Order: sequence, then C-alpha cells, then structure tokens
Amino acid sequence: MKKKNPLKIFTINIFFIIACFFALLPILYAFSLSLNANSSILSSDFSFIPKVLSLKNYKAVFVEKPVIMWFLNTFSLAFFTVILSLSVSIPAAYMFSEFSFKGKKPIIRILILLYSFPSILSMFAIYKLLSNLNLINTRIGLVIVYTGTMAIFGLINMKGYFDTIPNEIEDAARLDGASDFMVVRKIIIPLARPSIIVTGIQVLIYVWNEYIFAINFMTGSDKFTLASGLYTMQATEKSGSWAVFSAASIVISIPILTIFFLSQKYMISGLTSGGVKG
Amino acid sequence: MKLKKNDSFKCYLISSPSLALIALIVVFPIIYTFYISLTNMNTYHWFNPEIIGFKNYKQALFVMDSGFLKAIFITIVWTAVNMVFQMVIAFSIASLLNSPLLKYRRLYKTILMFPWAMPGYVSILLWKTGMFNSQFGLLNQWLTKLGFSSIRWLASDLSAFICCTVVNLWLALPFMIMIIDGGLQSIDRSFYESATMDGASTFCKAVKITIPCLKPIIGPAVIITLFTTFKQFDIIYLMTRQPGSQTGSTIQTIITYAYENAFISNNYGYSSSISIIIFIMLMVFARFSLFTNKKEEAL
Amino acid sequence: MKRKHLTIVLFLVLATILSLSCSKQKDENSPITITIWHDKEDVVVDVIKQALEPLSPDIVVNFERKASLAETLKLVGNNPQTAPDMYLYAHDKIGVYVEMGILEPITNLVNSESIETLVPMTKTAATYKGKIYQLPIYFETLLFLYNKKYMKPEEVPSTTDELLTYVQNKTKYGHFGYIEQHSTPYYFGPWINGFGGKVIDEEGNPCLDSKETLQALAYHLKFVKYMPDETEYATVNTLFSEGKAHTTIGGPWLIPTIKKAGIDVGIANMPIINQTGKPLTPYLGVQGFQVLKTGVQNPEKKEAIIKILQILSSEEVEIKLALASGCAPAREGCYSYDSIKNDEIVMAMRNTAENAVPMPNIPEMDVMWTVTGNLLTAVNMSGKDIETSAKQAQEKALSLIENMK
Repeated sequence: MKKKNPLKIFTINIFFIIACFFALLPILYAFSLSLNANSSILSSDFSFIPKVLSLKNYKAVFVEKPVIMWFLNTFSLAFFTVILSLSVSIPAAYMFSEFSFKGKKPIIRILILLYSFPSILSMFAIYKLLSNLNLINTRIGLVIVYTGTMAIFGLINMKGYFDTIPNEIEDAARLDGASDFMVVRKIIIPLARPSIIVTGIQVLIYVWNEYIFAINFMTGSDKFTLASGLYTMQATEKSGSWAVFSAASIVISIPILTIFFLSQKYMISGLTSGGVKG
Repeated sequence: MKLKKNDSFKCYLISSPSLALIALIVVFPIIYTFYISLTNMNTYHWFNPEIIGFKNYKQALFVMDSGFLKAIFITIVWTAVNMVFQMVIAFSIASLLNSPLLKYRRLYKTILMFPWAMPGYVSILLWKTGMFNSQFGLLNQWLTKLGFSSIRWLASDLSAFICCTVVNLWLALPFMIMIIDGGLQSIDRSFYESATMDGASTFCKAVKITIPCLKPIIGPAVIITLFTTFKQFDIIYLMTRQPGSQTGSTIQTIITYAYENAFISNNYGYSSSISIIIFIMLMVFARFSLFTNKKEEAL
Repeated sequence: MKRKHLTIVLFLVLATILSLSCSKQKDENSPITITIWHDKEDVVVDVIKQALEPLSPDIVVNFERKASLAETLKLVGNNPQTAPDMYLYAHDKIGVYVEMGILEPITNLVNSESIETLVPMTKTAATYKGKIYQLPIYFETLLFLYNKKYMKPEEVPSTTDELLTYVQNKTKYGHFGYIEQHSTPYYFGPWINGFGGKVIDEEGNPCLDSKETLQALAYHLKFVKYMPDETEYATVNTLFSEGKAHTTIGGPWLIPTIKKAGIDVGIANMPIINQTGKPLTPYLGVQGFQVLKTGVQNPEKKEAIIKILQILSSEEVEIKLALASGCAPAREGCYSYDSIKNDEIVMAMRNTAENAVPMPNIPEMDVMWTVTGNLLTAVNMSGKDIETSAKQAQEKALSLIENMK
C-alpha cells in the first residue's frame, strides 16, 4: 500500500496543476498583456512572457485614474453591504431553519421562485423607487439595493447550512438556559462559519464587481466604484488601451483573492472537531 | 419543536428586516413591471403611459415565432448541460481537494477561485478576444504553431455553444466547488471511519454517505445555480451577439431573444410583458423540476 | 435577542435619517449651476471648461461624464432634480428624446446666425421633424486609410473595382489588401449609401430589401471574402497597426493608435463605385449640445444656457474642440483658419461631408442597428442567401418598429 502513495500523490497534484492552469488561462493572458511594454492587445506572435517587460501599464492605472478613490468607494460599499446583509440574513435564516411557523413553507417556495427574476429587469422600477425616496445619488441607496438583491440568496444559502446543525446541540444549550440570541451567537455562528463566510464572500464579490447599478445610480465620477471605473476604461473604439485595462482588471481582482486566501482558515467547520457524536 | 402561538410572531419579527428588503428590492419591481406591462409605455408615451390592458401580452404571444421556440429549446439544453457538468466536475474537484493526500490544498483552492474574483464581463471579453479570436486568439495561435489550421470558434452554432458552456463553467465552478467543499467538511468523519471498518469501497462511500449528507447543504446552492444558469444573459450576448462584434452564430436563449426582440424597441410596456411571461415560464419550470416531494425535504 | 433586534432597528433608523439629510443639502447660494452630461474624453471637456471660464462666478458649469449616457437620460429625462440641463452627445438619439418630450428646440436659445453658418449636413443631422434640436459642434466621418509602406499615394485605387483587384492580388501570406469592420452596420454605411440604398428612410420605413441594398450587399460580399472573420474594432485596429493590412476604412480615432504603432498612414478620397459612379459615402456623426426642457423651465437657467451656447458657437472654441477630439468643426467659418486648413484629417472629413449621409436620427433607427447587424452577419459570416436574408431582415425590422408603438 505504501508503494501506491507516491504515484497517487503525484497524479493528484498533476491534476490540480492542470486544473489551475485552465482556471488561470485568461488571467495569465491579461497579466502578461498588462506587463507588456508595447500595448497592443493582440499580437500575432504572442508569448506568455512578453518580450519587453514593463510596469508602465500599472503605473498608468494608478496615475491616470483615481483608482485609490474608487477603491475606497467600493470598499465602503462592500463593507456596509456585507455587514447589513449578514446581520439581516442570519437571524432570518435561523428563524426559517429552526422554527416552524405558519406560512414558512410557502414563503420559502416563493422566495426561491422570486430569485429567478433577473435583477437587470428590475432596474427601472428600483430607480423610480429610489428617486422617490431621494436616495439616488447616495451610498445608502446603493447599499440597500445590493443588500436586497442578495437577501434571498443569503437567507436560503445559510438556512440550508443551519438545517444540518443537529438539534441536540441546540437543545442542550437551551436546557442550560440559553436564550435564542445566545444560541445563535455562541453555537450557530461558530458552527456555521463556513456557510457564513461563503455567503459573505459571495456578497462581497457581487458588490465588488457590480457595475450596472453603480453606473446608473451614482452620478459623478468621484463616486465611481472600481467596477464602474473599470467599465469606463474599456477599450472601445474611441478610447482606452487594452493593456491598461488588463492591468486595472488584475489590480481590482487582487483584494478579493487576498481576502479569500486569508479566510480559508475560518472555513473549517467546528462540527468536525468534537461536538455531539452518535 | 416548541410551537407556542407567539413563536410565529417572533419569527416574523426577527425575519422582518430581511423580508422587508426582499419586498422592496425584489417584489416591488416585479409588481411594478407587471403594472408597466399593462400600459403602453414606449418612446411615444414615455412619461405618461396609459393603461391598455393585456394588449401587450396578446402582441407578445402572437408574435412568438419559431425563433422563440428555438430559444426555449436552447435555453433548456443550455441549463441541463451546464448543470450536469457543473455538478459532476465540482464534486470531483471538491472531493479531490479534501483528499488526505493533498499537501498544497490551500494554494490550489485559492488559485481555483481566481475566475470568481474577476468581474464577469472582463472575463468574457478576455475569453472572446483573447482566446477565441480567429486571428489572434491564444487557442488558434497554438493550433497554428502545432501545424493545424485555425478554427473559427464562435462562428457556428455548435462550437459557439460549446465555447459558451466552457466559459460558463469557468465562471461558475468556483462557487460550486466552494459550497461542496464546505459541505464535505461538515460531514462527520466518523461515518467514513465506520464504513471503512465495514469494508466499503471509496465509490460506495461516496454514493452512500457523501451524497446524501451533502444534499441538504448544497440543495440551496444548486437551486441558485440553476436559476443563474437559466437567466444567463451576459455570456451568450457578449460572446456572440453584441452588435459590432457578432460572430455568425445564431444561438439564443430566452433572455437574449427577449432582449433583441423586445427590449431594443424601447417599448417598455411590451418588454415588461415579455419579462413577466418569462418569469411565469421560469416559475412553472421550477415548480415541476424542483418541488417534487423528495426535493422539498431538502429544503 | 432584544439587543440584536434593537440594533437592527436603530441601524435602519440611522440609515433613514442619514439618507434624508443627504438629500436636504440643496444649494442656496446665488451662482446658477448648469449641469452638462457628456461621454467625451477629459481633453475635450477641458477645452469647454476653459471656454466657459468667463461666465463664472455667476454661472457655474458642472460637467459629468456618463458612460451610458443614452440609457441614463431615458431614466431621468423629465425629473428636474436628477436630469442634466444640457448634454453633449451624438445627434442620432435626438428623435427618441424628442418623442419622449424632453428636448427643447435649440432655435429658441441661439440666434439664427449661429444656425446659418453651420456646415449644411450638420444642420440636417440636427433637425428632426422640421425643428433643430442640437447645436452641432464637430462631426466625424469614416476615412479611407492606407499604409504608405505598401501603397504609394499614386497607387491609391480611385474606383472600387481597382480596390477589388488590389485585394485579390495582395491578400495572401497573412496580409490583407483591405479590411474593415465588415458586419457592423456603421461601417456598411459607405457601401449602402454609395449604391443609393438606405437602411431606413425619413418616414421610418426600413429599406433593407430594396434593390439598391441587395446590390450593395452582393458587391460588398466580394470584399468580405478576403477579410478576416471578426468584425470588431480590436481585430481591424491590430491588423492595421501591425502592418498586416494595407488599407482600411476607419474613423479618425484610429489614426493616433496607428501612428503610435509607427505606421506611415495616408488618407485618401473614398473610391468611387463603378456601378453607380458615386463614391463610398459614409455616415456622418455630429456631436453637439442638446438642451433639456427641464433646463429651461427656470428663467434664470434659461438665460445662463443661452450665454453658454453663445460662447460655444464661436469659431475659436469650435476649432479648439475639433482639434482636441480629432474631428472636424461644424462651422463653415472655421475652415478659413490655417490650423484647420493644414490638418489633413479634418479637411478630408470636410470633403466627405459634402456627400455624407447623416446617421438617421429617427427613433425607428434604434432597432435597425441590431437588425442590420444580424443581416450582415447572416450574409457575410454565415453565408446565407442575400435575397432571403434581406427579406427576413426587412420583416423583422417592420415587426420591431411595430412593436415600438
């Protein structure tokens, strides 16, 4: 049996290296483009390592465009949206998961069905709504829109995970006199950490990359988010350079990857380490 | 379960912020869209639409020509193919990720998440112009270097479909992998231990333990992905149909079809009625495919 | 539980208060603020800002760059609080906005001299249903560009048949005699106009299956066979910049990129189509200022807008703008200035403007872009039969236009 292992390890690693290459392919392309000194996107003789390396595109990203400001805008939007989203969805998910109350099943069904409506189609209606509330050019308005769009997702996703937490753990806690709030805080949240983190990251990514609502609802280029700023940098006929655009895309993606990498640690669920057996 | 009367009230109260937001941002637009669909709001009556009843619906339903039926067919095939591939590939990758043989798990996982981090339309642009372009695309460059002739990837319906599927999988797999991976980690190891002691094979363990345990956890994610795939507009539109960069393929899903036939005519009343019709179709589809007794348990 | 409950409620209350207070910050100072939306480069806007300097501090002009100006304008057009007062944009959306009822005829705000001294074609472009809604500032047309390394100025083909022969001889070994964005309606303009055909006429009837259109499609197809598959800007631009394409028809925006790539580019007159004796006649795109009805509701604002438009109608300002944007000024008087006369590109566009056809600005045109694009794709890329495809496209156009009502 010991003989097989090196081969298995080898194969499995090769498999992942290939998978990663495939996952990275367009990104490597963009990356190499962004390091290229001569800024044409498509060159008939393309190689992954550009012939002339240069960081000038990255410099251009930071110098030509107020990327830092975009970053701050996006960051604050994302931060508030994730906080609001989680603080609103976790209690709701817990309610839907733990208790059965009148109307629960139909509501869940309706929520799932509602999720099938493409949000782009709602833009016009939401615009009318926000302008009546005078929330058009405000961060709050956008945060509310984002949170609302992801609310169903958050609720359903986390409820699913909460469902798997054995009731015995909870009942044990209640027997010890814990209130609902304490149950959620001390038991559910730690145990459901992976799901909460996944949901949080999904919301984060959504807000980070969302540009359609941002462009229409936030006027003024000082309110631009990273995604809307990036959108304006696209190389259309009249403006922009592909290389700078690629550099900008990479720059924008890095924070998310960092967050993801750092949060890996917390994704390991507490369930597997002890708890209730049998 | 305690079922005191005020429990219901408590539950609704606690869930109210979430439900209120949903009502505001999701339900209201649908109702408003329905309202608009009953009016004649178009370029000529932009700011003062009048209610005209179900005329828009009549127009929508009778104009549905063969292109629409083809679009429905392609949408269903698209959703089915993508879902199957996604589930199988995501499950395999996630399982392998959790194999005890793997040392650099965290690194691989992060790298595999890259597609998720980049804004969707940027990735689609990169795929379209960087990979599939018949002159300069990476794929064709490699092909020509190897001595083959270059392929017009996006020009014919079938190959365009395959390319769009590849891009969709590329974009959607990270999420699925994450969810399944999270789910796998929550399965009590003791199940596996006792199964191994009873002499079960890896395959048997996967089928009899992993999959049933995973079902409740990934159930919601599957549904969400199902709808996201069904609603997918960007990929097909940006890759093959955007004016100014069309590629010759004629595959359409319901959404791109609706876009090209209703939305560009600036007739909001008409487009809204098409949106509502599509929405109703989606609900029927969901009703029949999701809410069988078996799956409801998972919810 | 109660704590969390309270926190959420508190948060929502806080949010509501914040949002309400944000919106209460209306300016009560005396300068009149005029908001202008645009989608132009900073270079261009800086020129305008400079020109309008003299008006401050009484009149403050606020420029906002909008990436999807056309769509956003539809959303806010009649809301005085969120709509702009003016916007700088292409002329072809005028029809849509007039029908929505949000545009003010420009003739109410500028003197007749400003209108009379315009290049005639730009005036046509700015007119919809008999009224003028735009103050044209500069315009652009497509140009015939060639790489001087492969083609000497004397060798430039003067007729399309000559071009075809050139293409047939020179398109090999990865080189292309002539390329263009073949299946993009805007670039098909020169061909269809040159044959006397139209995509849509002034009354809003599509003409996709007319005899002339069919001829244009068939003749054009001969050239397409020698072009790469992709019809998008990136491909054309790259091929030309790398010296793999000898000639192309492109816009003035192409030129800076090509020059930067080191290509010695030449501009020539459009070849003449042998069958009709007319040159390839591109579409004319006119950029100018449009004024919204909400902007002139307030008499003070109306005065301010009139002053702004007056400054912007001056020849010096237009020349500066045109040069900053790489396009041709819309005022006849500008062409007696040396800075313009010496600019090869601008003069070439002025020449073309004699015959150029302004892009139709009627609302029905909106749907034609997609339909024509599909028609071109079907004929050029999928190899479908021209007559049948054109008939289908015509039916589709008619039904889409029906849907618009």
